[in-house]
Amino acid sequence: MAQLSFFSVALKNLKRKTFRTGVLVFAIALLVSLLIFAISFTVSVASSLKKSSERLGADLVVVPVGARGFAEEFLLESKNTSFYMPISINEKVKKIEGIEAMTHHTYLSSISGLCCDIMPTRIVAFNPATDFIINPWLQKSLGRPLQLGEAIAGFGTSENLGLGLLDIEATIFDNRFSIVGVLEETGTGLDHALFMTEENLKNIIESGKSPLKEGNISIIFTKIKKGYDPDYVGRVLEGEIPEVDVIARSDMGEKFLNTLADINKIFLLTTFLASVLTTFLVWAIFSAIANERSKEIGIMRALGAKESHIVHLYLVEVTVLGLLGSTIGVLAGTYMSALLTGSFSLLKNISAGLSGGQQATIALIGLLVGTTICITGAMMPINRIKKMEPLLVIKEE
Amino acid sequence: MSFLHIENLTRTYTVHDTSFVGVDNISLTINKGEFLSIVGHSGSGKTTLISIIGGILKPTSGRVLLEGTDICTLDDNRLSEYRVNRIGFMFQFASLLPILTAKENVLLPGIFSPGKNVADDKAAVDLLEMVGIGEKADSYPSQLSGGQQRRVAIARALLNKPDIILADEPTGDLDEETEAEIMNLFEGINQKHGVTIILITHNLNLAGKAQKKLRMSKGRLVDI
Repeated sequence: MAQLSFFSVALKNLKRKTFRTGVLVFAIALLVSLLIFAISFTVSVASSLKKSSERLGADLVVVPVGARGFAEEFLLESKNTSFYMPISINEKVKKIEGIEAMTHHTYLSSISGLCCDIMPTRIVAFNPATDFIINPWLQKSLGRPLQLGEAIAGFGTSENLGLGLLDIEATIFDNRFSIVGVLEETGTGLDHALFMTEENLKNIIESGKSPLKEGNISIIFTKIKKGYDPDYVGRVLEGEIPEVDVIARSDMGEKFLNTLADINKIFLLTTFLASVLTTFLVWAIFSAIANERSKEIGIMRALGAKESHIVHLYLVEVTVLGLLGSTIGVLAGTYMSALLTGSFSLLKNISAGLSGGQQATIALIGLLVGTTICITGAMMPINRIKKMEPLLVIKEE
Repeated sequence: MSFLHIENLTRTYTVHDTSFVGVDNISLTINKGEFLSIVGHSGSGKTTLISIIGGILKPTSGRVLLEGTDICTLDDNRLSEYRVNRIGFMFQFASLLPILTAKENVLLPGIFSPGKNVADDKAAVDLLEMVGIGEKADSYPSQLSGGQQRRVAIARALLNKPDIILADEPTGDLDEETEAEIMNLFEGINQKHGVTIILITHNLNLAGKAQKKLRMSKGRLVDI
């Protein structure tokens, strides 16, 4: 049998009133699960936006004036939107000092009907000669350039189109396409698009079934030369070319981040209130414990327990309580985050997710905060307990 | 050098601006291995006196010298060490922790003296057997009679092999037969192990079993 120790005495104390222990564990678990959910939500949205804009690989994104929101919806949220500007804008952008490389995309939405035999989906046409967005993904997944009459599905599109298998045929705006593969998941809104080279667009435009006109493009991605400030070049671009808006990489998802900041305030307030309530509950229960056990503490002091022994004994008890509640809270919070991801359109649309490292860090924060709040709430009663006069106990009876 | 020397010990209390004397200028010498009883009415200062000897109460003035060391000058940590290593306490009520078994109650002082060899289950069971309730080692206090609980408390007081056992009316609420058994235990411990025992009681018959009998009245020792 195990030796008697502070730990075993603390465990026996916790078992003494299981309902009361359960209430405390539940309160801490509730606080920690709320905290875990709030942090997971915030971190996953923020990091997904950052990752998405980084994966696009462009320093500046040039869009038709007024289409900034549409572009962000297309690139980050997978929303089906169309916006166009004349291809001649390319020449104007090229002249701006500091631009190192640029490429353009044209976006088009397929429609249900006689012209197309696939579900309505987003089509991205790119120029393989200049492209630095799609080409790297294509190289990784297909290992060769796309040919005329070929398309490749984005990771999410393959599910939407029900592809699963490669080399299927599809009719898009009366043009026959061979879908030759599926790109790996990129975590951007482009995961839900179908990709083809620009020369296919000519045939689509000639079919007359699409709203697209010749000489239109949707977006220009640019890379900035070393030593140039992207924000400065962006301001110059907007100043020189009034027909465009410019989104810097750091500003991508600004709309999301503004919404996120508001949600964060609510999370912060709720978590703060829950922390105060939990601290108060722990304080109240440990004050009651101090009164209930005063006689036992006096006996222990008379038997030779130092003040530090009494503190040690109750700290072990409160730490076990805090860790137990926090562990349950971490599990519940993680489960809740996974479960509710599907319910938040903000998370659904940006393919938010947390890495293992991020999840471990958030879990650790939850454990630390839950346990610290528990210990903080109990400290005042514990300090009172340790000062208990042993003689008072002897005189009590 | 005497084993335990008490010199001009006084303890006053102040309650609601009124002072009264608990122990009034007591001087006393106790030899090693002595069995001493102190009788007196309630409020005569008996408990105050052994609380000061046991290091759980500081005197207002005077000294308590154990083998030359004045315990009244020790800080809280040293006093705790003094209690756990040299004193075995028995209180005037059942003083066991209800969440611990008899065996665990006996082992309790052991966790407060990590410097000493850690007592194991066997040591606790041996002590419980010595006081005659070895078979109750795994019982909780609520499953024990008053007399059995006192025996557990005696076993606990002996765990750290103390020099002095301070017993404050340890048989107060027990029947005569059990009272006699507990007293026999004290006598045996005193004779076999040479432990100094200071027994407080208001029962003159019990006090008579000690080698030396003192009486306290109004905080003073009389009839020495």
